This record gives sequence, structure tokens and C-alpha cells, in this order.
Amino acid sequence: MRVVIAEDNVLLSTGLELLLGRAGFQIAAVAVDAPAFLAAVREHRPDVTIVDVRLPPSFRDEGIRAALQARKEHPGLPVLVLSQYVEQQYAAELLSSSAGGVGYLLKDRVSRVDEFVDAVRRVAAGGTAMDPEVIAGLVQRAGDPIAALTPREREVLALMAQGHDNNAIAGQLVITDNAVHKHIGNIFAKLGLAVTDSGHRRVLAVLAHLNAAGT
Amino acid sequence: MASGQRWRQARRSCTYLLGSLLSGVVTILALPLLLVPNLARRWADRHRARAARLLGAPAVPAGGSTSRSLLWLPVNVVAGVVLGLPALLCAGNIVVALIATPLWWAFRLEDRPRLFVDVPVTGWPTALTLGPLQILLLGLLAYLCFPPVARAHARICLLVLSHTANEQLAERVAVLTRSRADVLDAHGAELRRIERDLHDGTQARLVAIAMRLAVARQAFTDNPRDDEFVAGLLQDAHTGTEEAMAELREVIRTVYPPILADRGLTGALTAVTTRCGVPVRLDIGELERVPAAVEAVVYFAVAEALTNVTKHSQATEASVRLSRTADRLSVVITDNGTGGADEGRGTGITGIRGRVLALDGTIDINSPAGGPTVITLELPCG
Repeated sequence: MRVVIAEDNVLLSTGLELLLGRAGFQIAAVAVDAPAFLAAVREHRPDVTIVDVRLPPSFRDEGIRAALQARKEHPGLPVLVLSQYVEQQYAAELLSSSAGGVGYLLKDRVSRVDEFVDAVRRVAAGGTAMDPEVIAGLVQRAGDPIAALTPREREVLALMAQGHDNNAIAGQLVITDNAVHKHIGNIFAKLGLAVTDSGHRRVLAVLAHLNAAGT
Repeated sequence: MASGQRWRQARRSCTYLLGSLLSGVVTILALPLLLVPNLARRWADRHRARAARLLGAPAVPAGGSTSRSLLWLPVNVVAGVVLGLPALLCAGNIVVALIATPLWWAFRLEDRPRLFVDVPVTGWPTALTLGPLQILLLGLLAYLCFPPVARAHARICLLVLSHTANEQLAERVAVLTRSRADVLDAHGAELRRIERDLHDGTQARLVAIAMRLAVARQAFTDNPRDDEFVAGLLQDAHTGTEEAMAELREVIRTVYPPILADRGLTGALTAVTTRCGVPVRLDIGELERVPAAVEAVVYFAVAEALTNVTKHSQATEASVRLSRTADRLSVVITDNGTGGADEGRGTGITGIRGRVLALDGTIDINSPAGGPTVITLELPCG
């Protein structure tokens, strides 16, 4: 699986290369700014991209804009954005930017190698990887509709919104697949969402719902 | 000018002049009391505010000098009597005519009311000609003369009581000296807080991590090797780095919010308002360049205010309005909640007040029980 990385800090980019290389990824290119990243994506057509929010020259939100631009040029391009801090605004912009896998994680999460690699694979496969902090913010903001959920259902909702599938949720909460299935049914019923399908679209439905509930 | 407006002005001027006369008389009667500097200053402040209101001049802050306040006492008596007495005579004779015209017959013959100073009203013809004529003439006089006379009185008042340019400058210097000291204090406190957070938190954690890694490295070459021990140390070190990162992120956020660096004030406020639990209308005018320190204060103030809106106000909507005049940025945050915001209850608003004052700005919190709450910030950015 080929990766293009946009990260100007050499310490971090070599760390990512080491970590992803060991996990079996092939690093096609490491770009140090937005134009180089867009060029690398055009050249290598990677399976997944990893982008730092802050890039030269101004170290503001070039990374987000580059990611959105790349997804515009290559619809469905999986993008995982890394940042030193999370901002719901950025998450919302990424989620609403065409289809395809999308991720938004704190850089801290990289140190949990297994979880991080799992997130990269999920995004590459068209799934979602939202940082727990983003979800926590959304859930807190959503207020009333969430109040109807039991604590366990809220845990399941948070994990689901982060982009985990039933299997992973069952593993993390140490409950059976069946129980997860039941919780999800309850959540969707209480939130008034139609249980359509699983995977990315389900996550988007949940996130959209949380977003809407909060505004 | 519309005649309705002129009449209103004449009425206002009449009230002002009669009030001035009364205040002149009161000044004479209460002179011993008014010689007390504190009372003299308050008495002068009242008149100054009243004069400024009449002239439509900007309100002057209270607290003039004592000597000027004492000087105002004789000036007030003279100006009040000289300018107020004619007004009283004019208004009084209108009232006399108003009563005399329809009711002259009700008075005894020797007490018959007199019009035009000394013409007794003895029959309907005199009453119906002289009465309305007196009202008309004096009314016209009042209409034409009261406003300029009242303005003259107000100008005299401000002339005596306004600060001279030198006094204003001295006051400004005193205020600035105070606020500069506040800025330095606030800045120092902020540096100490950052130092403490980094020293007690992040730095201590890094030391602990380094120690664990050092021990793990040694233990790794032990023979026989205790794998479980090494794994435990690595685990601890790993957890420590995660905690250090989380802490560092928080410190950075309180120094200068990253979203502000990324997106500027407009973008950062958009993010804050969309994150708020109640719908917020954000209205940002043309701001031009705003100093980074001011941007940060505005950001923290809005974030704190909206947090309070969500937590305490029970509001269903809020609004944030930013506008810029020549050298000031004003921010108005309102909500339709239950009001009663109490600064003593939390430290949030107090912290914001400190930050605002440190920049020589002002903050006003108006939150009556039952609402609504209006928070107004004014920050210099010239």
C-alpha cells in the first residue's frame, strides 16, 4: 500500500516513515509543503495520504487546504490529517469534502502504533478515523438527543463516530458482536436515524446528526 | 429644523433654566454644606453632566478638581439667577395669562389679575384680547430665546468645570501609568504561569520518561533479562509521553490559541461560535489590522462568554458583534438567557477582565436577573 506524506518536520516524517515502513506500507514520497504534496499525489496516485495541518510557508492551515484541494483533484482520495490540536471546524470541512476515506487525528495518536496503523488502513479502505477528542466535543455539544442514551450506548456511539466497525467496538468494550449490534440498533432508534448500512456512510450519518444537533 | 423639535427644545431649555435658578437658590441656602470638598465635587459633577446632556456633548467622566468645583458655587448662583430669573418670569406670566383669560371674573375686584405687567382685567374684552396676546408674545419669546440662553448657561458651566487640556493630559498619564503597571503585572503573572505549567508538568514528565528509558536500556542488557520489567518501564514511559503531549497542548492553547494562528480572528471566532451549544449569530464588521494581543483577548473573552451562555444562561440564542472605530475594537456578546451572571461565582470572567484591563481596554457586564446578558468590551488597537 503506497503512501504520500506531507510533513515538513524531519523528526516527525522520519518517525512516520519508520513506523509505516515496519507496518508494511510503502512510502512513495515525503513532501515538505503543499505544492510538493499536490505534485506527489498527481505523480504517485497513492492509496492513502497523510498530511500535517501546518506546513510552510506560513504554518497556518495549509495542510487542511492542501488536503481539500487534493480531494477535489482526485475524488475519493483517502486523506488522513494529523495535527497537534483538534478543531471541530477542520473535521467538519474534511468530512464534507467529497466521498472517500477521511481521517483527522491528533499527532499524539501516532505513538499508539497499532491503533494508528489501523486508522491509516481504515482511511485507505474508504473508512473514517476521527479523533476521540473531536467526537467528545461533538457529543458534548449535541446535548439533548444524546441524553436519552445509556452510558454504554454513548460509548458505542463515540467509537462508531470515530470510525470503528462493530468488530473493533466489541473488542474495545469487551462485549460480544451481538451486544454491539443491539446497542447500535437502540442508538439509531433513539436518535431517529434509519439503520441503512454499515461502514463509512453509517459514520457520516452519525457525525452529521451530532453536528446538526449541536447547532 | 422641524418646528416640533424646536418646541421640544424650548421646553427642555425652560426646564433647564428653571432648574438652574432653583440650583442657584439651593446653592445659597446650602452653602456651608457645599463647601465640603467632597460634596462640592459631587454637586459640580451633577451640573456638568446636566450641561453636557443639554449640549449633546459626550459625557465627561465624574471627578473634577476641587478648586473648580468650589469656583462653580458662586458662578452657579450668579448664572442661575441672571439667566434663570427671566425664564421664570416669562414662564410665570404665561401661566398667569392662562389662568386670567378664562377665570378673571372669579377674583375679587381689588385682586383682579393683571396682564402686561400692570393692566387689570376688568371685562371679557380685555381678557380675550390681552390674555392670548400675552401668551403668544411670551411663548414666542420663550420659543426663540430659551434654547440659546440655556445653551449659554451650559457652556458657562462646562467652561468652569471642564478639565483644561493640561488636566486631561495629566489624568490620561495617570491612567496610562496605572494600566501600564497592570500590563506588566499581568504579563509577569502570565509568564510565571507558563513557566510553572511547563516546569511542573511537561518538564517533570520528560525527566521521568528519560529515567525510565535509561533504566529500561540497562535492564535490557541484564543477564538474565527480566522482559516483563523492561516492558513495564517502556509502557510507563509511553504513557508518560502521551500525558506530556496532552499537557503541552493545553499550555500552548492558553498561550495563544492555535486556531487563531491558523485562521485569524474571523476564522477562530467562527470556529468558537459553531462549537457553542446554542446557535450564535456572528457579525464581524471591517476590522482592518488588529494587534495579536487584542485578537487573543477577544478570542478568550468570546470563548469564555459563550461557555457561560451554554452552561448557565439557559439561552436559546446568542450573538457576537465586532466592530471597529478609528482606534478601538468593540465586542458585544448578548444572549437571551436568564441573566444574573455573577462575576464572583467563577474565575473565568475575572480572568478575562484582567486580560482586558491589561490592554487598557474596558469591559462591562450587564446581566440583570431575568436577562438578557450583554457583555461589552472595548479594546484600543491603534
